[in-house]
Formats: sequence, C-alpha cells, structure tokens
Amino acid sequence: MMNNRCLALIPFLLVSLTLGMASSWAGEPTQQVKQTTDKILAILSNPSLKGPAHAEERRKVIGQTVDERFDWEEMSRRSLARHWAERTPEEKKEFMGLFRDLLERTYLDKVDDYSGEAVTYEGDTIDGNYASVKVKIVTSKGKEIPVEYRVMKKQTHWLVYDITIEGVSLVNNYRSQFNSILSKSPYPELVKRLKDKASFSEKK
Amino acid sequence: MKKLDIELTVGIFILAGIFSLGYLSIKLGKMEVWGSKGYEVHAAFSNSGGLKAGSGIVIAGVDVGRVKSIHLQNYQAQVVMNVPWDVKIQEDAIASIKTKGLIGEKYIEITPGGSEKVIGPGGKIRETQPSVDLEELLSKYIFGKI
Repeated sequence: MMNNRCLALIPFLLVSLTLGMASSWAGEPTQQVKQTTDKILAILSNPSLKGPAHAEERRKVIGQTVDERFDWEEMSRRSLARHWAERTPEEKKEFMGLFRDLLERTYLDKVDDYSGEAVTYEGDTIDGNYASVKVKIVTSKGKEIPVEYRVMKKQTHWLVYDITIEGVSLVNNYRSQFNSILSKSPYPELVKRLKDKASFSEKK
Repeated sequence: MKKLDIELTVGIFILAGIFSLGYLSIKLGKMEVWGSKGYEVHAAFSNSGGLKAGSGIVIAGVDVGRVKSIHLQNYQAQVVMNVPWDVKIQEDAIASIKTKGLIGEKYIEITPGGSEKVIGPGGKIRETQPSVDLEELLSKYIFGKI
C-alpha cells in the first residue's frame, strides 16, 4: 500500500521538477518578453481582429501592447546619442513620438504578413540591471532568424531598448543614420524628414 | 692610436645600427616599450570574425586605438582594447566589428553614445555587434529563397 502511494507520487514529482527547471532556465526577462510576444500572437490570431477591415483596430491594440514592453525614451536617447543632450524637453518629446511612429510603420506593416512563424526562447543573460534575451524565429520553411532583445530593468519591468536581428542592431543603424543627417544639416531638417516619411506612408 | 680610432668608429657604427634595428622592430611590430598610453576597455562579442591583437579601433573613421588581446570565455570572444586617455567612451556606445572593404581586415568601430556616464579604465562596452559574416549572408540570400 505504502509502496503504491510512493510510486503514484513519482510522475507528480517529475512534472514539478521539470516545471521548476523550466522556470529557473527561463529568467524574468525572458518571461516578460514572452508574455508580450504571446499577447501579440494572440491578437494576430484573434478572429474578431482579423482581415483588412480591422487593420486599424488591430494596429492600435498591437501598438499598445508593444508600448508596454518598449522603452521609447531610452531607444530615442540611444539613437540620437550625442545629439540627444542638445535637445530641449519639448524637442525630445516630439522626437520620441516621431521615432515611435517610424518604427511602428516600418515593423507593424510586416506583422500583418505573419504566417505562423514559431518563436523559440534560447535563454537570457543578466548583468545587473541589463539583460539580453535570445530568441529564434522559425519560419514555416524552417529558416531560423536569430533575434536578441536588449532589455533594461525599470522597477519590476524589463523594458526593451534595442533589438538585434542577425547581429545587426536597430539602435546602431538609426544612430549612424541620424548622425550622418545631423552632421550635414540642422536638427529641424531631421524632424522634417521624419514627418515627410510619416505623411508619405500614410498616403500609401 | 690610429688603430683604436678605427675600432672606435666601427664600434659606434655597429651600436647605432643595432639601436636602429631595435627601434625599427618596435615601430613595425607596434609594440609598446614604455607602457601603453591609454586605458583598457573590455567588450564581449558573439563572433569576432577573425579580429586579431593589434587590429585598429576606429571612431568616425579615425584610428584611435588598438586591440590588445582576445581570448575565449564562455564561448564568447572577450576583447581587450587600448584607448588613449583623451578619447572618452560613453556607457551606451556600441562597438561593432567591421571589415575593410569586402574581404579586408577586421577592425572595431565604436559609435559614440549620448549617455553622460563614461566608461572608465577596465570598464566594459555592453552593447556590441558581432562581425557580420558576408559568406553566411550571401548563402542565405542564394539558398534562402526556396
């Protein structure tokens, strides 16, 4: 009798052991990034938000979800780099909005093309208040795209401040572009360019 | 007396020759004899792409320092760079490994950040971008589209 009960406990123990291992392997940053990714995937597969008729609404909901996880201020600060300190608080605020719109337009259009790509989590490394979460996106054809989220701890939230795809950093890309524009022309020119781009893709 | 003179001249000549050779080898080998002028900064890359000790460190295209050493730690390339004292590297600077031309030698490019915090001696550049493998990219482009 005693033996039987012990035996019955074994599967339970095994399950809790593997669960415990999985949660210790996937650290807090991974969990939080996964949470946001899962939310977006849920929105994309939500039948009431599907189709071109709901494009506007879907985009809004995804945008809100992304806002919760992305630190736009940190991203803008890092992208403008040396030029950030020269800006007035109003200019910083305006730039943050423009930069967010730019990324949203560039990447949310791609989200609409989502066709069942799987996301696997490859673990994270934590270094004080900074961490990087490694993710692999596996396309339906089996091609793997390595993506790395660079996250920063603010209170209890790990917020994304840079994304590296195939080893190429998003912030570094915009940093060199903004820097080359700002070394040739004054700051209002950069704002004008960002605004032009926004109105251009709206017309499209 | 005359013989001593000749021997002395030859001796001085040879000494001068040895000194010049020594100077030449130090200069050509980019060795530092009187201690390095600058401070050390560390960075970890997931792929160093064949970067070597002595490779250049570049900011805005200007050579500012050299790679002091590279070793493997935790399956990552740990690079130690030597940067002159007058070059300040911000905490959010990004170090990326680039290639001169298509198949040229590797170097590290640092894009300065906007943070007020500066990396001190022995500090670490957290944001790094590994060497982009051109061959890998090409093969992805060629074989990727099935």
